[in-house]
Amino acid sequence: MRRRSLLIAVVATALAAGCSGSGGTDSAAAGEPVSGGSLTWGIETEPITLNPHQYAQAKARLLVWNNFEALLTHDDKGGYVPWLAESYEVSPDGLTYTVELRDNVTFSDGVKLDAAAVKANVDQLLADGYAPQVAAVQLKNLKSVDVAGPLTVKYTLSAPDVLILDFLSSPQGAVVSPRSLKEAANLKAGGPDLAGTGPFILDRYTPGQELHYKRNPSYRDRPAYLDEVTYRFLKESSVRVGALTSGQVQVIEGVPATDQAQITGNPALTLSKGLNSGSAYSYYFNVGHAPFDDIRVRQAFRDAIDIDAVLKGVYRGTATRAWSVIGPTSPLYDKSLEGTYGNNPERANATLDAAGWTQRDADGFRVKNGKRLTVRLVQSAPFVRDRREILAQAVQAAVKQSAGIDLHVSVVDQGTATAALEKGEYEVFDNSRADTDAGAALNLLLASTGAINRLGISDKKVDDLLARGQASGDPATRAGIYRQLQQNVIIDQALIQPLYAPADQIAASAKVGGLGFEPTAGVPASAYNVWLSK
Amino acid sequence: MIVLRRLFTGLVVLWAAATAAYLALIAAPGSTVDSIVGDGADTPLIRAQIIHEWGLDRPAIVQYLDYLWRAAQGDLGRSYLLQRPVRDVIADQIGPTLSLAVAAAALGVVLALVLAVTTRQPWARRVSSTAELVLVSTPPFLIGIVLLSVFSFRLGWFPVSGGDGLASLVLPAVTLALPVAGVLTQVLRDGIDRALDEPFAVTARARGLEERAVLVRHALRHALLPVVTLVGWLFGVLLGGAVIIETVFGRPGLGQVTLAAVNSADMPVVLAVVVFSAFVYVVINTLADLAYLVIDPRLRPATASAAVASSPSSGSAVASSPSSGSAAGSSPSSGSAAGSSPPSGSALRSSPSSGA
Repeated sequence: MRRRSLLIAVVATALAAGCSGSGGTDSAAAGEPVSGGSLTWGIETEPITLNPHQYAQAKARLLVWNNFEALLTHDDKGGYVPWLAESYEVSPDGLTYTVELRDNVTFSDGVKLDAAAVKANVDQLLADGYAPQVAAVQLKNLKSVDVAGPLTVKYTLSAPDVLILDFLSSPQGAVVSPRSLKEAANLKAGGPDLAGTGPFILDRYTPGQELHYKRNPSYRDRPAYLDEVTYRFLKESSVRVGALTSGQVQVIEGVPATDQAQITGNPALTLSKGLNSGSAYSYYFNVGHAPFDDIRVRQAFRDAIDIDAVLKGVYRGTATRAWSVIGPTSPLYDKSLEGTYGNNPERANATLDAAGWTQRDADGFRVKNGKRLTVRLVQSAPFVRDRREILAQAVQAAVKQSAGIDLHVSVVDQGTATAALEKGEYEVFDNSRADTDAGAALNLLLASTGAINRLGISDKKVDDLLARGQASGDPATRAGIYRQLQQNVIIDQALIQPLYAPADQIAASAKVGGLGFEPTAGVPASAYNVWLSK
Repeated sequence: MIVLRRLFTGLVVLWAAATAAYLALIAAPGSTVDSIVGDGADTPLIRAQIIHEWGLDRPAIVQYLDYLWRAAQGDLGRSYLLQRPVRDVIADQIGPTLSLAVAAAALGVVLALVLAVTTRQPWARRVSSTAELVLVSTPPFLIGIVLLSVFSFRLGWFPVSGGDGLASLVLPAVTLALPVAGVLTQVLRDGIDRALDEPFAVTARARGLEERAVLVRHALRHALLPVVTLVGWLFGVLLGGAVIIETVFGRPGLGQVTLAAVNSADMPVVLAVVVFSAFVYVVINTLADLAYLVIDPRLRPATASAAVASSPSSGSAVASSPSSGSAAGSSPSSGSAAGSSPPSGSALRSSPSSGA
């Protein structure tokens, strides 16, 4: 379900805990796993920081889990399973989480993992000026963390919050050697100075060029297959593809739609795709002022677009359509939304007529009281990916043609974008988030106090559903709560135009086996299960 | 005295560059806090912590003076974005950029010399001129991708990227050198044309010198002066081009760092790069001034000090170029006439404008 492979047979192998939760995909050509060899992997994005606590780029996950591990990880049904933990227990009131640690775990600098080490990490995260975003968002309900025994850590919350489990399984929750926390030269930047417990050791970092990991020989479980793995930063997609086809690298990630045929057409190469979890890439309507303060205009905007046709035009059929603000691979996704709105120009025009936008100006745009029906989308250039600026142009053409709506698109530097968003000088806000728990994303996007609530909504019902979704530990109950939420914001209020579910792609030589995506997150997994056939 | 004056001018240039960059960053929309927050969660609490951590609540002028004071002591600060000392960030990236720039400059100059001298035949000249124009007007990005496709992906002669060894330097250096060679060749050829019409060339021919010898031994020397004048421009091209080259080839280097820093208003890094660039510019222009003395002996005894002192360290090297001295009409190598002929200010005959 959450893993799609175009050429590769999917072999989900049940793996020991500690494998960053990744199921494996392998190609028939790669055969049985073999040990040894050096692999070079071309990646698109150089991480801003190599300290997992400072992690903010979904593209850095595949690196983080090579040398760091968290207390928990996800299974492929979206549940939590122990990783550095042996087990965990939640008190009936949902306020205390007690985690038992495995007792055979050592950091690569020789320090042993114990409860004090875990507490040192949480203390560091809460330290002034170290990780304000983690402290303010993920740990906002954490009252205290205590060493309850040599291998027992107790988290006490001020309010029930199941998202603490998401934190414990996130890169920010990864456990760094307490010695590194004290002694690393540039702690926040991370790098070879920071010791973790993972199956690889980061031993070389050449900024702008590559990261080099070697196998951790004393890893507690099965050691990694590869002797070493090098991640080369190749920012240009055509260069990544060329490097792969010419055999200079064995794996690449980030294969744009335009290059995918080149991979699938070559029997020596494989291509696989993982849909990201979290929130789908969507347009959020700013209801703070006209014209989107009128629900009819919001409905008309959505009805004016044939999303399938737009996606086909821009992504050549490689994109997966989104029907909800929650991505289709999330266990919280409400499938019943599919096909319930959109692509209905007649209805769009009738609705706009009813809303009073009856006149047209010389350019064919609708006008009311002398004002054109203009909505502005401001995109911040550093965060535009997946050709989203082209997608915006396609949507622009669609709403103009079908309903006379003027979508004004501008791609600007980040400072200009932030200034526009702060002053409310926009009507459309675009965003996708790769959080593993979609609930975490929705808290930021939809809550009245949400840090990126660009809808400008302050809705009691939405807030109440979000709070209940965060407090409930029962998966079925949670799914029910988020179903109500999605019905509310998508159908009842028409606040959001979902567009597509972001995906990661991996292309590789057929000699490479064990490549896969992280369950739930949907981003490429670490190199632990990867092997290179001789 | 000259040294002191030169040093003072250099410091003024560095200060002006740092100040201009500072003002530009302040004038840019959005705030530093916005940039540090980035795409992440954004709450008043987070903002307050960031502002506190970096001292961003102080008045801009205080931050500016504080920056200058620390920079004067050699402390360039920490990168907001990368969370490392700026000195480390620059030190990590300077090597690859320098080797790329030096290799590209050398290759560009050699290529230009060879082309200008060997394409004297009208037909060769036409072919070469066309090629030069194409190279100058093709985006380096495209040149890089084409070279990679052919020599790395197809033929496998060179690696796609990296900073390992000479092989990985070849394609990036060629990519950067081709447009440079395009411009330099045109300037050189122009200079040679003019020099060959000079009386000294006629004299040399009259002495029975072969045309090729006249060209290489006399005319080329004259034609070199405007090329030296262009080194300031050359440096700009190399540094600007490095951004693109490093992206295409996945090379480490200052270009990438600068681009990321500008995008995210990472003030300490931007300022450091600007000051560093200004510093290199000053050094290169000083070297260029010295090179005039080597190339044109007439400037040496009487006018040497004046030439060095008067040549500014900023961009307008062309206007003040002592190469106007070469308009005197006699070959530097043609004996006593050179020393006696006063530098006539009449015409900037060797102006490089034709090539640029």
